[in-house]
Amino acid sequence: MSRAPGSFLTGLAYYQGVPVWRHALIIQWALQIVSGIVVVVLVASFFANITNAIQDRNIPHGFGFLSREYQTPIGQHFLPYESSDSYLYAFGVAATNTIIVSIVGVILATALGIVVGVARISGNWLVSRTALVYVEFFRNVPLLVQLFFWFYIVLTLPPVRQGYVIVDKLYVNNAGISVPWPSPPSWDAALVWMAIALVSIIAGAVLHRILTRREELTGRPSYPLITGGATTVVAAAIGWLIISAASGNAPFGISVPAPHGTFGRIAGGFTISGGLMALLTGLVIYTSSFIAEIVRAGIQSVGRGQTEAARSLGLAPMAALRHITFPQALRVIIPPLISQCLNLTKNSSLAAAIGYADLTNVGKTMTQIAPAVSIYILLMVAYLAMSLTYSLIGNLYNRRIRLVGN
Amino acid sequence: MASGTDIPQTDSLPPPITERGIVGWVYANLFNSWYNTVLTFIFAAILVLTLWFGLGWIILESDWRVIATLGGNLIIGQYNIEKACPGQDCFWRPQVSLLLVSALLGMAWAISGDRVAKRIAIGVAVVSVAFAFLPYSLERMGLDVRLLLVANLPAVAAGWALARYTPLGSVRWIVILGVLAFLVTLVLLRGLPGVPGLQPVSVIYWGGLMLNLLLAVTGIALSLPIGIALALGRRSHLPVVKLLCVVFIEVFRGVPLITLLFMSQVLVPLAFPEDFPTNSLFRAGVVITLFSSAYMAENIRGGLQALHPGQAEAARALGLPGWQTTMLISMPQAIRNVIPAIVGQFISLFKDTTLVYIIGMLDVLEFGRAFIQGNVAEYLDGTPEFLLFIALVFWVFCYTMSYVSRRVEEHLGVGQR
Repeated sequence: MSRAPGSFLTGLAYYQGVPVWRHALIIQWALQIVSGIVVVVLVASFFANITNAIQDRNIPHGFGFLSREYQTPIGQHFLPYESSDSYLYAFGVAATNTIIVSIVGVILATALGIVVGVARISGNWLVSRTALVYVEFFRNVPLLVQLFFWFYIVLTLPPVRQGYVIVDKLYVNNAGISVPWPSPPSWDAALVWMAIALVSIIAGAVLHRILTRREELTGRPSYPLITGGATTVVAAAIGWLIISAASGNAPFGISVPAPHGTFGRIAGGFTISGGLMALLTGLVIYTSSFIAEIVRAGIQSVGRGQTEAARSLGLAPMAALRHITFPQALRVIIPPLISQCLNLTKNSSLAAAIGYADLTNVGKTMTQIAPAVSIYILLMVAYLAMSLTYSLIGNLYNRRIRLVGN
Repeated sequence: MASGTDIPQTDSLPPPITERGIVGWVYANLFNSWYNTVLTFIFAAILVLTLWFGLGWIILESDWRVIATLGGNLIIGQYNIEKACPGQDCFWRPQVSLLLVSALLGMAWAISGDRVAKRIAIGVAVVSVAFAFLPYSLERMGLDVRLLLVANLPAVAAGWALARYTPLGSVRWIVILGVLAFLVTLVLLRGLPGVPGLQPVSVIYWGGLMLNLLLAVTGIALSLPIGIALALGRRSHLPVVKLLCVVFIEVFRGVPLITLLFMSQVLVPLAFPEDFPTNSLFRAGVVITLFSSAYMAENIRGGLQALHPGQAEAARALGLPGWQTTMLISMPQAIRNVIPAIVGQFISLFKDTTLVYIIGMLDVLEFGRAFIQGNVAEYLDGTPEFLLFIALVFWVFCYTMSYVSRRVEEHLGVGQR
């Protein structure tokens, strides 16, 4: 009510009866507008500087190079690749390399991490101490040091001709490990069978779900796991037999690696290159030491009473861990676990140091001949897409396991 | 009743041997079930084998010449080579910086009165003094170098006395002096043109463990305030501020540090005016700090989220304005709750300083590797020894950090209130 009367000009200085320089809403918006303008100006001058510099110094730019031939070999690749392929395709090959390391690494690191994490809280003193030493050592040493170490070990393996051969099927040497690998005589039959296998898995899963529900509702034993699993196996086997009979060949054979040619190079099977081996070993061990701590904290976060109640109901220790403690611990474990998986994916960029052709490594090589700024943009987009995918999976999972009522 | 007195009053029997003493402990902790017995034997076998071959390797086969040859260069990199520091010996400059650190540690010991601070201060001094007595000839390690190393012991004592007997003994002063010491270190290392004895040393020659520590200290000191600002921005109700903070955090968290570093090599010189000093040290410092503050922001945001809203409401009800509520009530509690995550980020940052190799800086790891690559014939076989040594150095620093963080948590009574 203390509104200052007076001329139109002094009236303007008031908003809702409060002087504008003291009105919270106005101050907030003024701050926002100012900070917005500052950031926009900064970012704009940043980009303006870059564009100017590109034009002044005649630095190549644009995305026209993407359709040209890359003409540089890529060490290990999971998609078929030749030097005559385009930049864009090479970039895709590198992205696939990163994604495969990420997926395999995440699976192995999670498995190892859970084992070490459970060992950390084992009642066995020797086991829990060993796990403690493992965790404290590997997570406090830079990943790069560990990668160099594993890469050195790989490089000290004997050369191809003197390499280790395990029962004529497995070749270990400084070029990598060659293992037998399924290989189809013809891709048509193989794809048909893979489709059949997928359908059988889905059928088995559906059956498993139906029978579980029935068992839960009626209490009659319905053996969901055995029935569902058997359905999948039998359906896939029948598909296999039919395709074998129809095409005269089994849909998949096994390609066994063997020395080839005068240099004894290993052909056939599947070769995991030395760089990939070192990268996976380093990433898995490093990340598992973090996951182990997450798992331990998660299990310890479940109240002691839960385990005690389970034990007093007659569940064996392992059964209590599996059915009572672990499902509850998962709620605590999953969010940091996802962020560790994302870290593993990002850490796979250290592959550049040991010669595995991941996104960063290939991107770095490309900048030597192609416009750097364009490649940076591609790299940023690729990594951001991967990290967003992980966050999405994490959020979806979180929503599913969230406590009801939270 | 009378018959009761007939029973001789003997001491009760001791528990059986399997439940007391060492034997009882072994039974309870190693052989309490059949699978634990099996596990014990398996792990004991693994342990014995590891020790057998590990010790055998260390005693019989390992060759630590590469460490001995590199010596102090592992700590300062190329800082003292003829090209970096023509016609002079510049080794004393990093050493004086170390003395400043020792004095600060002594002060921290006196102020906190904690046994961990004491151990760290004494540990640094003892290790420095021990290095002074390495059995090198005087040509390899001069008398001045040795004396400056020995001086770390009195430096710790001086710092301790300073904090104990002068008004400088408070947390506020140690922070101020710490910042000052950091600036003095930078000036000392960089040099001042025109000052005799302090000729400028180009940052391209800065390297070794010194570089890792400098980058880590800079990153730690700057990423915490930036992270706090970003966390508050992300929780703010102001849409523009929130959007900017979210974009910044997600972009820096989504891209690997090594990718950001190698991008900075081309982008930063392009983005700044041409006369702006964008050397590799500056670039690495900026990128590492920004990268780390994005993670820091998320840690602090987690702490703020876990805080009960009643705290802020009570503060407002007492009449505290918004910024005081945040800075005096919410933020201290939020930070206290996420100390492990914050220190984990510090540790991570320190380990990540090894990645600067990608922009051609010779940190302790890359300096040694470059040396080995340059002398393959002689030193290539020493690679595992070298890597093991570097691993040990990093381990000591990182483990100390996590140990200190646990100690600080105990002091603050986290989990007890």
